[in-house]
Amino acid sequence: MPRNRTVRFAVLGSSVQRAAPYGFPSSRSSAIRRRIVVGLLVLLSLVLITLSFRSSALDGIQGDGATALRPFETAANRVARPFRDTIGWFHGLVNARSENKKLRVQIAGLQQELIQDEGAVQQNAQLTQELNYQAPPSVRAYGQVRAEVLANPLSSTEDSITISAGSVNGLQTGDVVVEPTGNPDGTGALIGTVDRVTSHVSRVMLLTDDDSAVTATDLTDSNVIGSVRPGGSSLILDRVPKEPNVRRGDTIITAGSLGDGPLKSRYPRGIPIGTVTSVTNSDADLFQNIQLQSLVDLSSIRSVIVLTPPSNR
Amino acid sequence: MDGLKAAVVLFIACLLQLSVLTEYHPFRTASIVLVALLSIALLRGSLFGAVAGFAVGLMLDTGTLGTLGVTSLLLTIAGFWIGRYGETTARDRFHAPFLSVAVVTMLYVFGQLTLEFVLGEAAPAGAAVRGVPGALLLNLLLTLPVYALARRLFPPQELGDRVREVRLLG
Repeated sequence: MPRNRTVRFAVLGSSVQRAAPYGFPSSRSSAIRRRIVVGLLVLLSLVLITLSFRSSALDGIQGDGATALRPFETAANRVARPFRDTIGWFHGLVNARSENKKLRVQIAGLQQELIQDEGAVQQNAQLTQELNYQAPPSVRAYGQVRAEVLANPLSSTEDSITISAGSVNGLQTGDVVVEPTGNPDGTGALIGTVDRVTSHVSRVMLLTDDDSAVTATDLTDSNVIGSVRPGGSSLILDRVPKEPNVRRGDTIITAGSLGDGPLKSRYPRGIPIGTVTSVTNSDADLFQNIQLQSLVDLSSIRSVIVLTPPSNR
Repeated sequence: MDGLKAAVVLFIACLLQLSVLTEYHPFRTASIVLVALLSIALLRGSLFGAVAGFAVGLMLDTGTLGTLGVTSLLLTIAGFWIGRYGETTARDRFHAPFLSVAVVTMLYVFGQLTLEFVLGEAAPAGAAVRGVPGALLLNLLLTLPVYALARRLFPPQELGDRVREVRLLG
């Protein structure tokens, strides 16, 4: 049977014209265009990484971008606040009874300590004056800039937060960051240091960052000098010889240092860092193995105080 | 119009990620930006996904004052790859968004870790690996509402190569 090669069209629609394709393109030219665009975007990302990592050429643009985002982040924070407070209220309600009992015991102990400490403070002031002793700068010598936290760490591997203050507020890289409290001087435990500054927004490197190290001492024994560094999920007080002994429950504070040279400590003396949770000694180690619990919940910080050295102001 | 809608959705996701989700430690591993991006990429294709990924990555890096380009690179590749999956085998499959989010969440964590390691920054693999199950669970939980919203905003398009005429032989 001869094959009939005549072609007839059966039209399914009103028009025999093929409509212009839309949706997911599948032609060869589209595939090439797709690859070119993606290749360019990847290349652009690599260029941005290189520029951002190797120079400060993009810092200004990034700072302006962060400043532009700041009002939106603040607005989002304000919108989320009622929900956050509700969750906090329920959480507080669950723990209220046990916390109340614990706090009553703590208050009784602290009242005893306060009486002893007041006498020691007066004696200290008198002796300092008589001996003309040059002490490291205290927190009171520093200026305070209060700032809101715009973004906490984005993942479990990050240890930095973004705050709503920058160079226009007098912040500089290396400034010390503490938590705000109801203390007379308003400052609480150590959070970290300012790591990067733009005009209106800054990044704070937390104590748990691998690059963080703070010279610290024991509140009850100033002979203990070591360095607080991150150690897994907690902090460790490193480089403390086996004598003198550090005890569990001791409070570790910043050591500060005297002097005006380049090696002067950025931290004023006496900022609380954490409490000792465990102390172990092994014959193989030259130093004690001391673990600390930070006094601040570094995973969720809402506001901070940045201590600006007198030279900044 | 799709571009504008995607920009608004991803901008809101970005703000939620930066200001709300990171407030609560248990939710920190969740990434609403990643879930929103993958949902849009699945519905709008590889090119759209790649461009959206690049833009939202740049915004996240700017908001956190991180190294510019790191998140952009990861999200560009994620958006492109899942967009391509949407264009090819994932059409109208119920499991497609869940599978995409699960796979990309894991690859994203390891990709981020690798980039940080290459750049000489702290790359704690232990912390990253410990965070993977939580991230997977939370992202999968987020997928259902976010994909439903994305599907409403970006209704699936008809296929460009759908046959509109037939030729009869014989």
